[in-house]
Amino acid sequence: MTAGTVTEAGTAAAAGRRRTGRFALGVAVIAVPLVLALLGPVFAGEPGPRTASFTLGDGHWLGTDFVGRDVWRQVLHGGRPVVLTALGAGALAYLVALPVGLAAALTHRRWLEELLMRPLDVLIAVPSLLLILLVASVFSPGAIGLALLVALVNVPDAARLVRAAATEAAARPVVEALRLQGESWWRVAVGYVGRSILRTLGADAGTRLTGVLYLVATAAFLGVGVAPDAADWAVMVDRNRTGLFVQPWAVVVPALLIVALTTGTNLLFDAALEKPGGRRGRKERRA
Amino acid sequence: MSGLRSFVARRLLLGVAQTVAVVLLVFALTEALPGDAAVALAGDQPDPARIAAIREAMQLDRPVHERLADWAIGLLHGDFGTSLASGRPVGQYIADGFGPTLLLAALTVALLVPIGFGLGVLAARHEGGLVDRLVSSVTLAVYAVPEFALGVLLVTVFALKLGWLPPTAVGYGTDLLAHPAALVLPILVLLSRPVCSLVRLVRAGMVDALASPYVAHARRYGLADARVRYLHALPGAVAPAAQQLARTVDWLLCGVIVVEALYVIPGLGTVLLNAVAERDVPVVQGLAVVFGVLTVVLNLGADVVARRFAPRAGVAA
Repeated sequence: MTAGTVTEAGTAAAAGRRRTGRFALGVAVIAVPLVLALLGPVFAGEPGPRTASFTLGDGHWLGTDFVGRDVWRQVLHGGRPVVLTALGAGALAYLVALPVGLAAALTHRRWLEELLMRPLDVLIAVPSLLLILLVASVFSPGAIGLALLVALVNVPDAARLVRAAATEAAARPVVEALRLQGESWWRVAVGYVGRSILRTLGADAGTRLTGVLYLVATAAFLGVGVAPDAADWAVMVDRNRTGLFVQPWAVVVPALLIVALTTGTNLLFDAALEKPGGRRGRKERRA
Repeated sequence: MSGLRSFVARRLLLGVAQTVAVVLLVFALTEALPGDAAVALAGDQPDPARIAAIREAMQLDRPVHERLADWAIGLLHGDFGTSLASGRPVGQYIADGFGPTLLLAALTVALLVPIGFGLGVLAARHEGGLVDRLVSSVTLAVYAVPEFALGVLLVTVFALKLGWLPPTAVGYGTDLLAHPAALVLPILVLLSRPVCSLVRLVRAGMVDALASPYVAHARRYGLADARVRYLHALPGAVAPAAQQLARTVDWLLCGVIVVEALYVIPGLGTVLLNAVAERDVPVVQGLAVVFGVLTVVLNLGADVVARRFAPRAGVAA
């Protein structure tokens, strides 16, 4: 008995250390791209005169890009659109998914639930990048349009998740008691059910943000929602590819920053969401 | 067994609804164009002759429902309409791009399943050990990386620095099998995300299955370790993985489009991107229907497989 407790405490401590280590790693990986994205434009300064394209040195720390602009200055400017569009798209997706999912879970009218959820079942069948390209072939979406599209692609999955979590919470005896007490629908839906699904939403937000970042960057790389000469890390990778063999920095630096941004987001959320006790402990307690 | 059959029937019905919805959605796109569709599609070259040609080709003078009916009936016969840019049938575009894309997808899936299950089982066997931590960390890190960033970095290392592999497939035409070196980087990039997610799922499923009472029971009977692992534990881990494999279809499609653009491979993704750039709506629509229906069918298959392996799990119908 005592021996078991000791080893358990030992493994828990080791897991805790490992978790802190992973957390630190995530912060370290994401710090550089995030700081560049948020503060870069402040330090970028005035644009210098354009020179020959794809040159190295000559006062340009990272050389020049495909139209002769300073790559370092483009790098400083290029993170903000990626990060802001992704954050906006993620927030928008939840803004739609939360009320739809909650309403579908809490309504007692079967037809309303079907009306809210069935169209999403259908939308989920369309591959995300295909939907974005389809719309891009007819309209020319800007950054806001791209954020809307990426949000739309994420709504079905997020709404399903909200509904599943909320249905579980709404079936608890507490909700029945609240209803019998005559609490308002709003207080039950937001005050109790909404609050009890926050943990599930938090876990989902991490993966969703990673997916949104992926889509925003990939769409920008394919030229959707961005100007052809925009200061955007994904656009830089695409446009400067022609000079890869002459001036690799114009491609490698933004590509590395995107890798660090997405990987860091993933590592950080994974470490942050892991419960300190580990999953097994909870299962045993329940049993 | 009747439960499975009714599940399949319901799932088929959803699949049909999804197919119809995809076709309607794709068709609705041209209707969503603001103002005169022909003028909007002419874009940079708004001369009257071109506008008239577009109107003629897309039969914009006829009522919407007639056009939809014609188009849908044409789709059933494999007639996808004609391109606005070249006047060639869309079906020909699809036939031209099909080979390279199918080759990429087939090779990727053929490698994905053994690598995904192999690494997942390996990590689960050594749960908590060095191998497990290594596999888990690497898959977690690579899982989120967009293909284009990874691909461009691989090109820089293997083509530019080391000179081992060609940077793109330019000049090899559609016969890529004759030039396997040109396929290495595209396949590697295509595999990156699906492998990571599959490994993580198989690992999680195997860890749960290996800790379950029925595996412990099988062990008590004295069955061989490998037999317990592959015949008893693995099927339990397949159900969540099969669902994910369908998810992977979506990723593979995104990946194929990006990888073909990155490595200049003349497949369906390149055809689609060119058509999008030229606003060649019939080609975009035709490809969208092909991709959309493919996704619906593969998702359906995966749901049924997942249901077969885990009859008690509540798979969404």
